[in-house]
Amino acid sequence: MIRLAKAMARKDLTLVLARGNGLAQALLLGLLLIFVFSLSREAGQPVTPQEAATVFWLSSAFCQVLVFNRLFALEETGEARLGLLLLPAPIQAVWLGKAIAGFCLLLLAQVCFLPAAVALLGQDLSGPLTEGALALLLVDLGLCAVGALLGALATGQGARESLLSVLFFPLQVPLLLAGIKLGAQTFGLSLPDGPGSWLRMALAFDGVFLGAGLLLFGFLYSGDA
Amino acid sequence: MPPSPRHIPTGSALAAAGGLALAASQWLVFRHAPVEATMGLTQKIFYIHLPLAWWALASFLVVFAGSILFLLRRNPATDAWCRAACEIGVLLSGLALLTGMLWGRQAWGVWWTWDPRLTTTLVMWFVYAGYLVLRGLDMPAPRKRVACAVLGIAAFCDVPLVFLSARLWRSIHPAVFASKGGGLEPEMKLAVIACTLSMGLLWAGLLALRTGQIAQEERIETLEGLAGQDD
Repeated sequence: MIRLAKAMARKDLTLVLARGNGLAQALLLGLLLIFVFSLSREAGQPVTPQEAATVFWLSSAFCQVLVFNRLFALEETGEARLGLLLLPAPIQAVWLGKAIAGFCLLLLAQVCFLPAAVALLGQDLSGPLTEGALALLLVDLGLCAVGALLGALATGQGARESLLSVLFFPLQVPLLLAGIKLGAQTFGLSLPDGPGSWLRMALAFDGVFLGAGLLLFGFLYSGDA
Repeated sequence: MPPSPRHIPTGSALAAAGGLALAASQWLVFRHAPVEATMGLTQKIFYIHLPLAWWALASFLVVFAGSILFLLRRNPATDAWCRAACEIGVLLSGLALLTGMLWGRQAWGVWWTWDPRLTTTLVMWFVYAGYLVLRGLDMPAPRKRVACAVLGIAAFCDVPLVFLSARLWRSIHPAVFASKGGGLEPEMKLAVIACTLSMGLLWAGLLALRTGQIAQEERIETLEGLAGQDD
């Protein structure tokens, strides 16, 4: 299963990144969101760390929608999905492969979003960086667990991006709150109770949705068009 | 087994009984229960707000349990119950949010505040409204049923996490039954129990009625399909 998941992830990453505009749309949308939000402050007026972290995660959430929409659209042409279903391996390998590919693409996009948030929203990384990096990885893991599970819902549908946004965003509220609080800490906000409870929240979310993905993906990713 | 319209008469009777019981319980609310000293008459919102919120949660629990059952047995009748429960849950939670906002305006001076229960209800409303959007999509019925069942399970698993995360953020919601010594006078408690039970009757009636309607709708669609084939 792991071997197939790795092959799936490699295939998806090659297909998305090898094409010129593979990640461009998601990147541009995220950067535009950060830029537009930066217009909300007067010249010289600071953006609070929490506001900056919120915009960063909002950009990441929209990026996640576009990334998983694209990843699941890859198998729509030529009914390639049926080929995957015929593979002699658990179907969960497809879910895991999509999640790994999505995780890599989201991290790649965030490499651009983070400096943009720092520069355009007037932030500096004055908080604990190790905890910030751990939070980023945990929140991204949760976003990808949800994306890889529910991304399959919209297969073959029109207006997939809006459908996925409507489904993803409310489900991810606990994870986004954790990301915002921990991100704000990385931007210099002091958390009175420390980051422990928010890190545990992100970890719990990851556990629930990784479990849900493993159990439920097989039902969604079937031969039905 | 397809869903059956035979629930419509039972549902209508239960809903009518629930409506009457709810109307009768207003006597307890306005005559028996005392007027609360701080909030005055506005506190009476609570007697409708609490049952709405509890039965909305019960609806989402039905969606969760029904979704698991559907994935295990693939019975379209179970799916019809889930759809009906979700529609009623979204309606009741929407009304709970509105009454909560009216309460909040009077009690805290704001229409909206970051409170775990209010926030959880709002997030649940969004999630299950998304579920209804999925229901409305044009996709083959078997696939739609499975997709909705998966979302119904994922959505309910998310509820405790939403509540905990909102509580970590901050809370100002009043404790009702949880507070030691009881947060309510005995007369108030009686009124709220009567309202909750009456609302439960109305909820059960609406659930059965709507499930029956969905069954009828599916039969009509099947007949239309057959008529189309004959033409």
